[in-house]
Amino acid sequence: MMEGDRVAFKLSTPGVLPKSERKLREEFLSQLELVPGGEKIKSCIQCGTCTGSCPVSYVMDISPREVIARFRIGDIESILKSRTIWVCASCYACTTRCPSGIRITDILYAMKRTAIEEGIFPSRFPVYTMSEGFVKNVNRYGRNHEMGLLVSFYLRTSPLKLLKMLPLGWRLFKRKRISFTPMKIKRLDQIKSIVAKAESQVMPSEKASIMVASTVGYGSTTEVKQRAAGAAQGGAK
Amino acid sequence: MNNRIGVFICHCGVNISTTVDVEEVTEFASKQPNVVVARNYKFMCSEPGQAMIQKDIGENHLDAVVVAACSPQMHELTFRNACEEGGINRYLFQMSNIREHCSWIHDKKTAATQKAEALVNAAIRRVAWHEPLEPTFSEVNPATLIVGAGIAGIQAALEIAESGNPVYLVEKESTIGGKMAKFDKTFPTLDCAACILTPKMVSISHRKNIHLMTMAHVEKVDGFIGNFKVTVRKKARYVNEKCTSCNDCVDVCPVKVPHYFDEYHSERTAIHKAFPQAVPNTYVIDKQEKPPCIEACPIRQEAAGYVALIRERRFKEAAELIRLRNPLPVVCGRVCYHPCETECNRDYVEKPIAIQYLKRFALDWAREQGESIEPPKIERRAEKVAVIGSGPAGLTCAHDLAAKGYDVAVFEKLSELGGMLRVGIPAYRLPRHLLKEELDYLKKLGITFKMNAEFGKKITINRLKEEGYQAIFLAAGAHAGVTLDILGEGSEGVISGVDYLRRVNLGIESHTGRNVAVIGGGNTAMDAARTALREGAEKVTILYRRTRAEMPAAPHEVDDAEEEGIRIHYLIAPTAIARGPDGKLDVTCINIELGEPDASGRRRPIPIKGSEHVLEFDMVIPAISQNPDPKLFSNGGDQLKKSRWGTIEVDEESLKTNIDGVFSGGDVVLGPSTVIASMGAGRRAAESIDKCINGQPLENFQTHMPKERIARGEDFRPHSYAPMFKDIPKSDRVGMRKLPAHARVKGYDEVELGFSEEEAVREASRCLNCGVCVECLACVKTCQPEAIDHRMQNELVDIEVGQILLATGYDLFDASHAAQFGYGKLDNVLSSLEFERMLSSTGPTGGKLLCKNGKEPRAIGIIHCIGSRDENYHKYCSRVCCMYALKFAHLVKDRTDAEVYQFYIDMRAYGKGFEEFYNRVLMEAATVIRGKVAEVVPSGPTLKEQGHLVIRCEDTLVSKFREIPVDMVVLCNAIEPTADSEDIRRLFSISRSPDGFYLERHPKLDPTATMTDGIYIAGCCQGPKDIPDTVSQAAGAAARMLAIIAKGKVELDPIRAEIQEELCSGCRICNSLCPYFAIDFDAEKKISIINTALCKGCGTCVAACPAAAITGKGFTNNQIFAEIEGMLV
Repeated sequence: MMEGDRVAFKLSTPGVLPKSERKLREEFLSQLELVPGGEKIKSCIQCGTCTGSCPVSYVMDISPREVIARFRIGDIESILKSRTIWVCASCYACTTRCPSGIRITDILYAMKRTAIEEGIFPSRFPVYTMSEGFVKNVNRYGRNHEMGLLVSFYLRTSPLKLLKMLPLGWRLFKRKRISFTPMKIKRLDQIKSIVAKAESQVMPSEKASIMVASTVGYGSTTEVKQRAAGAAQGGAK
Repeated sequence: MNNRIGVFICHCGVNISTTVDVEEVTEFASKQPNVVVARNYKFMCSEPGQAMIQKDIGENHLDAVVVAACSPQMHELTFRNACEEGGINRYLFQMSNIREHCSWIHDKKTAATQKAEALVNAAIRRVAWHEPLEPTFSEVNPATLIVGAGIAGIQAALEIAESGNPVYLVEKESTIGGKMAKFDKTFPTLDCAACILTPKMVSISHRKNIHLMTMAHVEKVDGFIGNFKVTVRKKARYVNEKCTSCNDCVDVCPVKVPHYFDEYHSERTAIHKAFPQAVPNTYVIDKQEKPPCIEACPIRQEAAGYVALIRERRFKEAAELIRLRNPLPVVCGRVCYHPCETECNRDYVEKPIAIQYLKRFALDWAREQGESIEPPKIERRAEKVAVIGSGPAGLTCAHDLAAKGYDVAVFEKLSELGGMLRVGIPAYRLPRHLLKEELDYLKKLGITFKMNAEFGKKITINRLKEEGYQAIFLAAGAHAGVTLDILGEGSEGVISGVDYLRRVNLGIESHTGRNVAVIGGGNTAMDAARTALREGAEKVTILYRRTRAEMPAAPHEVDDAEEEGIRIHYLIAPTAIARGPDGKLDVTCINIELGEPDASGRRRPIPIKGSEHVLEFDMVIPAISQNPDPKLFSNGGDQLKKSRWGTIEVDEESLKTNIDGVFSGGDVVLGPSTVIASMGAGRRAAESIDKCINGQPLENFQTHMPKERIARGEDFRPHSYAPMFKDIPKSDRVGMRKLPAHARVKGYDEVELGFSEEEAVREASRCLNCGVCVECLACVKTCQPEAIDHRMQNELVDIEVGQILLATGYDLFDASHAAQFGYGKLDNVLSSLEFERMLSSTGPTGGKLLCKNGKEPRAIGIIHCIGSRDENYHKYCSRVCCMYALKFAHLVKDRTDAEVYQFYIDMRAYGKGFEEFYNRVLMEAATVIRGKVAEVVPSGPTLKEQGHLVIRCEDTLVSKFREIPVDMVVLCNAIEPTADSEDIRRLFSISRSPDGFYLERHPKLDPTATMTDGIYIAGCCQGPKDIPDTVSQAAGAAARMLAIIAKGKVELDPIRAEIQEELCSGCRICNSLCPYFAIDFDAEKKISIINTALCKGCGTCVAACPAAAITGKGFTNNQIFAEIEGMLV
């Protein structure tokens, strides 16, 4: 959502979200189910402890508190389009201090996964591209290969910037901070088996279709589960 | 004069000493005259501080003490007690306030010190003149009055009753329980309100020492703490304690009105119970004001009653009700001029109800159905009463007396009964067989009729008395036509209207001309003209000297006459009649113009000179007015007093003539009048005669003879809950079908054809049920235990109590004042109490959440702070709304799939278990939106096509304007002081705080007492609070009162006014000035006296007394002047 846009999206039918938002909500709630105690998002009292505790909130366009507020009003899309979830440094200060016991960092992760699933990202803020390259690197070498990550990142986002970075790259190279050849860790197979194990978990998006309350509010997660179970049974028949 | 004074100055920690140089003030004080010792101390009020004072009293033989410290409100009592314990009278003490009045409000030390010195000096000089005073004591009446029986009043009553002391519990509603009885669940524990309240209500009714007075309010309060005298007005319930709550009456009551207990969302009958568990558990009849139709009727016919019964298609009951009190209902149904319709409130909507036609319908229906109405069983009495004349007045009087059991004989001069009904009113308006029906019924009542019995010949007043008649009612009517007083009036072919009608109606041979003139514009003129037409006249002309607007005849009669082809000449008057040789009558007429209005309000006719012209007729019927037969006063009635209009003169109230035992009424007294007015006179005469025979004074009449129109204002509404007249949907008055004009004139067939059943029901449905109970008496008939008494009267009860607790509760803010929320305008915008009722299983929907269209809402918006936290209405926070709003959200989520939005400014969850409840509701997935709603608008284009509702607000947590569609909006209305709280405040002489709630003595340390001793407050009348707080406060107040009851006496401060009797001139100026009504006038001694128990020592009278006869103890002139001097030195 653009800054200065002071009008929230309009609902047309009492108690019913627009279709696109309903889809996002469905996805997010299923991601939220992976967070232990994720349903506590409902008990947020909007005190702002999270924002005040966040070391990087000054560069966020939506504060962590407002992420929950926007989720409440039924505007997940604007959260996914914000930089906030990608700026989070995962320090867990917010989660430690939250008086309502809400695992905000984990909720932001759930938002990130929703963004990836739905392919909605902030414009001109390619953090996800960076993150994607990083993960690829780690999968391949067991650790990051800085040079490869930077080159592929700039090639994919703004190749011209790569030229600008050349002097810096040269100085780093000279001091052996980066190298052209990637380094592998020992026992790469162990990392790979960890990743494989994680990926073998059934991800929410791979579950039988989950029915989510078509309400603006967020229904209880147990309700979501029941409905999901009901849908699954229906499918089995 | 005291000359050994000790001065003690307090530092009050640092409160005083930082701004006031305490040492310097001490130094200063020690140098003042009469001061023996001056000291200062950190905390003078502490144990060592007090000990210091007491030690000095002993060692230095002090005879007076000054303490300069905080406010006397705070510690005067402390130091007085200290002085007393130290050995001097507690009033030989003066307190100087150098904290609130000095250190706290100044910042410059020198100036503050100087001021403190002045204040201390004033106290030193004053205390020198102090005299020992002794407090007086007063016994305490152990009874307590509690006003208001909501949860606060109930709680306090039970607490006090537990101690065995008597309690009077006064409640203005028909049941106790207050607002709490309307709630569904209570926050935060979600206890069912009824489950926790009703057991307490039941214990109230079981406690022998609780005297419960419902439908009552306090009217007067006299006295003082320990000894209050209170007058309570108990409104009539119309149902006594014999009621078994069987519900039979509800089934027969024809009146349905919106039920106040369900906030007008359900219907109830006029006889009802507020809710099933009401205490006292008896029914109650809701009688607001008397319906104007009943009030307007001279015989007080239960018009509203039979209209309601007809609406319910209970035609036979309607006919029975009409017959019960009306001796001539069929007649009234046809010829009454129906003052009931003139007064009908429906007139303010469009047209009055056709009450007269409905009455006619009911009786016609009974006749057609062959339903005979039998007179009630009557116990016969021996006393005989004679009624002279069988017209409406005579028949009504005879009917009423016969119904009371008297042996009534009616004497009629003519061969036919009915008086003017028979010989005045033509058969086309009142068919003769119908009149016979009336007379047959009256005969069944046991009335004897004697025809051809003319008063004055064989029958005289003396003769009747000799025959054993204990009273005589003279109702001979006015059967003599008034002459025109013009030349040629005696000519052949000129006959007065009454004479003509009488001859025709009795079938006496009489000639009717072919070209007839009728002179006059009254009903007799119309009757004569229309009769002449039916008797064969070819051309009938009415000559009237004014215009149609001034015509006294009923407008529809004039219309009918014109329809039948009668011509009416307006502004014309005959001046002479001459009979020509051909037998024609030449009537010389003069044209008229209208001048200024005369005494009757009609414009005075002025003849136009030179406009004389001659009209030719062959018959002239003058019908301008009638008088009683003048022979009345010569034959047998020669002692009767005659008025200057030739009528009998009677006492207006009792209708008593100048002869004992003789009463008179009807046309013979009133001159030509109406049927119903004569019947009213007959009814009043019957009551008079009954009183006379039973030896009662002739006063306090219950029958009704309205003298004037009943005044109604523009904004007058028939009953409190009803919409304004302009908001009532309009519906046309049902007209009556008539015989076509050409068919009418051929004979005497009735012109008006009556209502069909459907027409009657449709017309009756227009009734607004003014006054709610319509007095149809159906409930009386059905009530087995005979518990219903419509004649029950309000009563005044005097009680004596020692203390009073006010627990008068609150009103809900009327959200229609804040128009932006659409309350009262948009469907499905509800107040919190309306929503409570909707949630309640005993409510209008049985606990189901339903929109007006009968569907479950898909989304509900709950808006906090309606009228609270708003400078436009109430600045304060109503405290309970956040929590009950959350309770609402919980209950909605519990019962429906609807989405719930809470719109709040701040969420206030301050009480025990409240925050946990907030969290619980949040976890139940209610959406909370921080932001006050700006407006609620319909989604549709107009109010009629409202669609769903849209709430507009800013969601301040995301800084966005939002429009949220919902199906239902619930407003959290502010708690506000009751509408009558100013009256109650004045009644009990207490104060209100700026927010309008009753002012407590101290907001923290004494929240249950008021500034008036012996009067306490509890619950929401002191300020908004929830149930636990209310119960605590009520119990606290009860404890306060019990302490005084246990003590048995109260100390009365001796600082009060005193009158020196020898100086008092008895001017009584002080009497009316005293704000505590403590000064009375002793009529014997001719001086004013002060009731020391009531006096508060305010000094108003002292200042006002022109003779300086009043002194205020503790505020003598010496003391005051010394104090001023000390301040200024």
